Amino acid sequence: MKGHKRDIVSTGKAPLKSPVAVSVGLHLLVFGIALAGWSWNTPPEPEPRSISARLISPEPRPTPVVEEQDEADKEQERKQAQAREQEEAERQRQAEEKARQEAERKAQEEARRREEERRQQEAQAKELAEKQAREREAARQKAEAEAKERERQKAEEERKRQEEAKRRAEEEKRRQEEQRKKEEAERQRREEEARKEAERKRLEAERRLREQQLEALADQARQEREAEARRQQEAAAARAREAQMQSESDKYQALIRERLKQAWYPPSSANENMTARLQITLLPTGELASVKLVGSSGNTAFDNSALSAVRSLNRYPIPDNRDTFERYFRQFMIEFNPQRLR
Amino acid sequence: MFMKSRSRCSGSFLKTPVIACLVLFLTASLGARAELLIRITEGAGSAIPIAVVPFAESGSMPAGDKVGSIVQADLTMSGEFRPLEPSKMLSLPSERSEVYFRDWRMLGQRYVLVGQLTRNGDRIQARYELFDVNQEKRILGETAAVPASNLRSLGHHISDRVYEAITGAPGVFSTKLAYITVSGEGEQTRYRLQVSDVDGKRSKVRLESREPILSPAWSPDGKKLAYVSFETGKPVIFVHELATGERQKVADFPGLNSAPAWSTDGRSLLMTLSRDGNAEIYRMDLASRNLTRLTDHWAIDTEAAWDHADRGIYFTSDRSGGPQLYHMERPGAEPRRITFGSRYNARPRPSPTGDYVYYVHQRDSAFHIARTNLETGEETVITRTGSDESPSVAPNGRLLIYATRQNGEGVLTVVSADGGAAYSLPASEGEVREPAWGPVTR
Amino acid sequence: MKMSFSTKAFAMLLSAGLVAGCSSTGENMEEGAYGSDVAAIDQDGGSTVYGGADGSGVSASELTDDERRAAQEQAEQEALRDITTFYFDFDTSEIKPDARDVLVAHARYLADNPRQQVRLEGHADERGTKEYNLALGERRANAVQRFLIVNGASRGQIETVSYGEEKPAVRGSTESAWAQNRRVELVFQ
Repeated sequence: MKGHKRDIVSTGKAPLKSPVAVSVGLHLLVFGIALAGWSWNTPPEPEPRSISARLISPEPRPTPVVEEQDEADKEQERKQAQAREQEEAERQRQAEEKARQEAERKAQEEARRREEERRQQEAQAKELAEKQAREREAARQKAEAEAKERERQKAEEERKRQEEAKRRAEEEKRRQEEQRKKEEAERQRREEEARKEAERKRLEAERRLREQQLEALADQARQEREAEARRQQEAAAARAREAQMQSESDKYQALIRERLKQAWYPPSSANENMTARLQITLLPTGELASVKLVGSSGNTAFDNSALSAVRSLNRYPIPDNRDTFERYFRQFMIEFNPQRLR
Repeated sequence: MFMKSRSRCSGSFLKTPVIACLVLFLTASLGARAELLIRITEGAGSAIPIAVVPFAESGSMPAGDKVGSIVQADLTMSGEFRPLEPSKMLSLPSERSEVYFRDWRMLGQRYVLVGQLTRNGDRIQARYELFDVNQEKRILGETAAVPASNLRSLGHHISDRVYEAITGAPGVFSTKLAYITVSGEGEQTRYRLQVSDVDGKRSKVRLESREPILSPAWSPDGKKLAYVSFETGKPVIFVHELATGERQKVADFPGLNSAPAWSTDGRSLLMTLSRDGNAEIYRMDLASRNLTRLTDHWAIDTEAAWDHADRGIYFTSDRSGGPQLYHMERPGAEPRRITFGSRYNARPRPSPTGDYVYYVHQRDSAFHIARTNLETGEETVITRTGSDESPSVAPNGRLLIYATRQNGEGVLTVVSADGGAAYSLPASEGEVREPAWGPVTR
Repeated sequence: MKMSFSTKAFAMLLSAGLVAGCSSTGENMEEGAYGSDVAAIDQDGGSTVYGGADGSGVSASELTDDERRAAQEQAEQEALRDITTFYFDFDTSEIKPDARDVLVAHARYLADNPRQQVRLEGHADERGTKEYNLALGERRANAVQRFLIVNGASRGQIETVSYGEEKPAVRGSTESAWAQNRRVELVFQ
């Protein structure tokens, strides 16, 4: 059918002679606007084209089977068909118009909406940006302020710390000074005390020494009477000591030493430089076999006192064990050398 | 293999033990192991037991103490011996053949002295022997002869010999003592200067006076005495020759003339004179009578004595407030105080052996004799009595005689120099004071 | 006035007696100290007796005040001069305060009698050493001598000697004996 579309849009498209061309042109127009409107914004889901306006060329309609009808019928039929075509085309045109208008409106709406959206978005974005900028600014200022504050605080703290340190240092110094003075006074006092104490102790020691010496004098008289009893007592004590000695040899050495000490009368002219050395030979009974002066002290009286002492022992204490006796006591040396004189 | 390594390692490292083994082997085979050595460093510390056997006598002996008892008394006085009572002796030998050492050993005696006296006209001959009981050895054997009247001197001589043989130090038993006695009262008071043996026997009066006599001092040769006499009404120093009885007045200056002390060469006297206003110490050359003043102080300076080296002088001075001992290194040098422990120290008497100075020392309210060790400065009180005066040291430095009071009477006491044994001299009539121990004269 | 003068005399006599009785020289006091022997005061005029047993009282009918005073003083001085021993503490030669008046009296007497000689004998107690005591006795005698000279005596009148501990006044070893032996004695020649 051949339709006939009026072109109200001033696209300049010259209306074509055929209504198909008009409708095609209209379709192209709408299509173009839609496209143009479409590039402005993020388009939402494109509306599915209900109108397939891509008709470039009409589809060849299936040729109806022409029946041989009467021409009249054919004419009527052609007129009916034409009327129906015109109605159809009208309907189509109206529908298309409606659709077009709808589309336009939609497009406009779309555009508006997009515009609106865009503006909104713009505004939002701007607002956001501003907000962000403000926020950043605020944050920055805050940070700055905080930094300044921290700085100030730190400075303050530092100052306080320094003051404190200074104060403490001063205090410390003062305290140390005091301490030192105190210690000095203390030390002097202690020195004084120590000196007095030493003096007192010295006098005390002197006095005690003299007391002791007088006591010692009194004791000595008694001692001479008790010498014999003491000797026996010491012999008994030596026996007691004996029980605790470890080595047999040591034990008997000590015994011999003790006996000789009791038996020795060093002459009063003896001094610490005199040493008489004697070699002793014993019999297994403990009796003296021989004595030999192997080292003289240079003083006859001293040598004689040593010889006399050695010979004054009737029997030397010796270990029962024959081997120990043979090894140590068969022959040994005795040295007389006074270490403490009258 | 072994040999090889040995020859390789032939350094000292291996050599020493090898040599040691060799030495040990040798000594072991000789039977002489490293010998035991026992050291004795002190003795019994008591008096030596000695048996002085009464001497055998042939011929008539003078009356009086026996030689044996004189020796016994002397040795006891020394403080170093403990003689055995003759009543305890099991036998009375007079020569070696009679000495049974086992007997004496049993009695615990270390020495036995035996002897014989034989009268020969007016002399007495003595033969004496001293035996070491344990060594069964004679350590002294001598003879001597004296006039019969001088038997005591013989006894003292034997004591000296025994003492020296056993102690090694010189004996002082033949020395003399000088001292003052006082008897009577009021107008009857008599002062006497006397000289006796060391045991107080055989005393002879050398001077008798109604006025006090003080400070007898022996000349070093034992022939003269200097002393202070008040016979003229004031103190005057005399020097008195004992053999002849002659005396000279050597100091009679205004004021005091006192405290005479001889120098070792016998040529000068230290003395205390107050002719210059107060008591000071002077030295007088006896030949020329020249005086040299040695102290110069307003305090009392007196009681001077030469020190052992005869270089310096000890004296008493109260320049520090009370009497103390001082020492001048040289006559006239700056004195140095040497006693500190008591408020009264006076009359220094240095020992002839140079180790101590003896003096009168107050302790609490008693006056004792004390001594100071000149090397260590240590002070020791050596007497137990409490009103002691006039210490005088024996020439061997081992004994000291001093004056003290016993039952209100003045007596003389001998102590050993360290204050050990004490021995009171038998009291004669009256009071005895101011002893001076005479020198050893050979 | 007679009365007041006598009272004064009475008082002075009493105090003289006190001094004599209270000095440390008690032992050497004469028997019958003045204090017990004061004569009655006679207010009628006429005779008045001064002093006591030593008979130094003046008995005369008419005496001037001056003369009486002089006589009075002389009596006092004589009383003081009865004391001729002076005591000392251990190891000192310090003159005791109550000896001073007495020594002054002696000094004045010596000054007044230039031909009078006196010997001072110094002593010490028996403690300590003889020689030191000899010097100590001398120092005591010298101290008294100095005092006398300062108070008028002349050196030529005084002789000193020391006996140290050799001549004790009292025998014994007690504090009392020692105290009595530490002395200087004035012996008028």
